Amino acid sequence: MFEFLEFEFMRKAIVAVLILSLGMAPLGCFLVLRRLSLAGEALSHAAIPGIAVAYALAGLSVMSMTLGGLIAGLSVALLSTVLARLTLLREDANMATLYLLALAGGIFLLSVRGTAVNLESFLFGNILGLRTGTLILIGCTTTLTLLAMAVILRPLILLTVDPVFARSQSKRTWLISAVFMVLVVLNLIAGFRALGTLMAVGLMIVPATSARYWVNALTPMLVLAFCFGAGSSLLGLALSYWLPNVPSGPSIVLVCGGVFVVSLLFGRNGLNLLARRS
Amino acid sequence: MLQARNLAIGYGAETVARDLNFDLAPGEILAVIGHNGSGKSTLVKTILGVETPRDGALQWTAKAAPKPMGYLGQLTEFDRRFPMRVGDLVETGGWSTLGFFDAAGQSARMRASAAIDEVGLREIAQLPLHKLSAGQLQRALFARTMVQNAQLIILDEPFAAVDQNTEADLLQHVLTWAGEGRAVIMVLHNLSTVLQHCARTLLLGRGTGRFGPTEQILNTQALVDMGYLAANQAQWLAGSPSNGWAKDV
Repeated sequence: MFEFLEFEFMRKAIVAVLILSLGMAPLGCFLVLRRLSLAGEALSHAAIPGIAVAYALAGLSVMSMTLGGLIAGLSVALLSTVLARLTLLREDANMATLYLLALAGGIFLLSVRGTAVNLESFLFGNILGLRTGTLILIGCTTTLTLLAMAVILRPLILLTVDPVFARSQSKRTWLISAVFMVLVVLNLIAGFRALGTLMAVGLMIVPATSARYWVNALTPMLVLAFCFGAGSSLLGLALSYWLPNVPSGPSIVLVCGGVFVVSLLFGRNGLNLLARRS
Repeated sequence: MLQARNLAIGYGAETVARDLNFDLAPGEILAVIGHNGSGKSTLVKTILGVETPRDGALQWTAKAAPKPMGYLGQLTEFDRRFPMRVGDLVETGGWSTLGFFDAAGQSARMRASAAIDEVGLREIAQLPLHKLSAGQLQRALFARTMVQNAQLIILDEPFAAVDQNTEADLLQHVLTWAGEGRAVIMVLHNLSTVLQHCARTLLLGRGTGRFGPTEQILNTQALVDMGYLAANQAQWLAGSPSNGWAKDV
């Protein structure tokens, strides 16, 4: 049953998803708590054209695709923040508009150039063909994420729970939210190869929402989100090995979904069915 | 502690009020009142350093603005669903003096614990924020302000959402702070509180401000002049013997 552990590509895949979950758990928790759950989705789409264009120009290079995705994703994130400050429209409206434009523009460019990019591998990822370069990218991203989160953790908590107070204590709160959004985009891109652009954000958001159903303090929420994410990743990987033709991204997110449903039904902040019966 | 000379305040491209002159001494409670849009919040932001003065000067007696500055603002953006217990919220008051990697020290914990006792929240210190009433939340935020241990404390409408009992309790803490030599600035709407507890008042309105001893500032004529009261309200107040604060016009 566990003979897949003997394959090198499976061992690589397992390492990749475990490390990814480590960095994505805290980011997902704060995305959810900062009411940016859907912004994660928008940003992951915003990065796609950058990756596609880089792929068309430079081929299958981890470095250039990462850079392309980073530029596209960050431009959308930062531009929507700046526009929200300068104009009447809120950040979410600007972001929705910009990411749609970026996505359309990217696909338009590719079509005009006539390059055939395999969209399916973008959408669902191909964790079973991970290269060492991608693993290194994932490792660096997670290390950077955990270090940066340790530095901005307290201001980020203040900014989330009581923004007015946070701004009264520091003039640089914009920097904290900017660093946070950069980390989100970086992790999405690191997750793209493994999980696919459509599914990477799932490993961020779903474990975080599931964890919130059980606990009422931040530290347990972070730990639980990591456990949910890592556990779902392992089970999802195994499922995609056992069931031929099932891509790893959707199968991991579906296991996350199972955890979510259980949390929703029985968690104390969810429907809490067990407690109601007794 | 603080002195404003011909200060003009504003945000973005707008100047909200100009020619403001006032000062604040340690141990004093200064009331700030004014109509909606008169610049109360802008003034608070300017003192906090979030907005810069448009003109004139805001001078600190010490070389620089005191740090940390105690602050309790309006709760329009406060997220009560954040996974945090009352005790954790109170402890965040000690964070502004911590470095990036410092762990919250024993003394900060002790101060938080003492503050929780002082505002009477010991029994619910483990409750998550979303279970609190408005009054309990405001008590917790007062405790956080105590943990900040600041020499200047700014309270922006601190009693807006709480009942009379809570207001009376919380006011005692403000008086204690002043007694400890801390300077307090309170943005208020309740004029009787101003009259009872604040020696001096800054009345903002009509693009400028008046500053002086509370009894001189809080007369019906000035309140009408500065757009705080409508003329017919002032008449009613002046004619009503039960309103102790509305003295002669």
